[in-house]
Amino acid sequence: MTLEQSEFQKLVELMLELCEHHHGDPAALDAILSELKDLYKKIPIYPGIITMCLPKVVQPVEVDKLGVGDEVIFSLKDGQIVSGKVAEVNPKEIKLAESKQLNVSSLAEKVVVQKEAVGKAKRIMRDVIEKEWPTLDFEVE
Amino acid sequence: MPELKFKRGDVVRLEGQLSLEVKEGEVSVSGGLQGKGSKVVIPRSKSVPLEAEGEALIEYTLGQEGKIEQLSERTIPKEWDTLISEVIQRRPKTILVMGNVDVGKTFFTTYLSNKLLRHGLRAGAVDSDVGQADIGPPTTMGLGVFEQPVALLYEVPLSNAYFVGSMSPSGHMLEFVVGMKWLVEHGLKKADLVIVNTPGWISGGPGRALQLYTFELIGPDMVVALQRERELEHLLASLPPSRVRRLPVSTKVRPRSHAERAALRAMLVSKYFEDAGKLVLDLRRIRFERSYMGTGTPIDPQTLESGTNVIHAEKIPEGLLLVTRRKLSDKTLQELESKFRSVRVIKQGSERNLIVGLVNDASELLGLGIIEKIDYERGHVVVLTPVKNADEVAAVQIGSMKIKPTGEEVGTVRPGTF
Repeated sequence: MTLEQSEFQKLVELMLELCEHHHGDPAALDAILSELKDLYKKIPIYPGIITMCLPKVVQPVEVDKLGVGDEVIFSLKDGQIVSGKVAEVNPKEIKLAESKQLNVSSLAEKVVVQKEAVGKAKRIMRDVIEKEWPTLDFEVE
Repeated sequence: MPELKFKRGDVVRLEGQLSLEVKEGEVSVSGGLQGKGSKVVIPRSKSVPLEAEGEALIEYTLGQEGKIEQLSERTIPKEWDTLISEVIQRRPKTILVMGNVDVGKTFFTTYLSNKLLRHGLRAGAVDSDVGQADIGPPTTMGLGVFEQPVALLYEVPLSNAYFVGSMSPSGHMLEFVVGMKWLVEHGLKKADLVIVNTPGWISGGPGRALQLYTFELIGPDMVVALQRERELEHLLASLPPSRVRRLPVSTKVRPRSHAERAALRAMLVSKYFEDAGKLVLDLRRIRFERSYMGTGTPIDPQTLESGTNVIHAEKIPEGLLLVTRRKLSDKTLQELESKFRSVRVIKQGSERNLIVGLVNDASELLGLGIIEKIDYERGHVVVLTPVKNADEVAAVQIGSMKIKPTGEEVGTVRPGTF
């Protein structure tokens, strides 16, 4: 066999890996796919940079390190998945705006999450190209 | 004007902006001998070493951020001079210079070429740093022949250029290897030897492939591996050891950030298009290269869709290629797809700001252009370019970057769009 002559192969393999890693977490997959679409529109000629940026979209985070404005996904201990934007952080709870409870496919305007109810938390980084490689953050039609 | 006296062996670092004139004696700037009366100009953000060949006196003027720094020792590793002695003795025809980004490949090439010039050898330098091309404009690879010593590579006049159409080898591997080979062949006709600066993409499958297939295609007599540590060893393991020379990097190489690189690219592009004017090219006379457009059998747009949405249509082996004013309706698209298998749609106006290469019938690059518009109805393409004579242009090579004449990069284009 010979060497890979394009980084698209690596990108496909990364997508498969991310799908497996976030299996059962539609909020994470949705965030990754929407960022992939955005990145591909901006820099279709740089699959290597897309591959570098994509794993940074959904990252594990400690609940106490979250701040207002962070876009998050919580996998609650009871199996529910809740996503949204942090609107308020209190010692015992986090209030989310624009939130979704994905396991029951229902939309909720606001959700209050008890910190002790959180099993795992992930923070979503949107506009990853702007943060990682700002000179390639092109306007797209 | 301030003066500086040197004695043999003195070393200073010249940081731009500055200009100097040698008033007495001889100095070596980037390895090039500068005698009495020689003038050297170093622009902002560039720096080079000056070494006194004996007692010498210079007059200098410092501009913004310019300075002259006294150094306690040479910045050029002694291994470089050992290699140069070998080159003078063995006279290789082609030398490939490999190295990661920011290891000083450009400076090494300048230093080596200047030193060879002292021994009567004229080196051709192939610059493949398409993002910040020193020889030729950005998005191209250039060839320059050293006829006289220079402080910086960009002073070497452009002899030939090859259009790549991007700021990086990613997605442009073929343009890179073909371009390097094409320039080496031209260089060997004009110079005693050719030094090829390969891109700094050295790892990952495509990076390895680029370096190793370039080696296979060019078949250099010598490979100079400039490394900080052992970052090229994975490539060198696949090369014949007898042709490889490992060199340390110069101690004063300063890495550039993405933002610095982008700013430098913008400056080079804006400078290139400073005197550009509009050139109208007749679509019936010129051809598109590296493009699907113009490669198929024309179809009357009226036979495809009623109305005036479709401006241009052609049947290509891959299906149907259309240029439209607006987005096609889903129904029309489905009908066309069922008839032609695959439909490529180019929205009118999406070609604006696309970087292109304008070449003559011998496939020689006349200059870069930025497409303003392709007018299919009137049958012409309007390009902003420093090229003045439309009759010389035989073909328009399509690139994959969108750039404004100010140098601002405004997007990249998916290969196969046009």
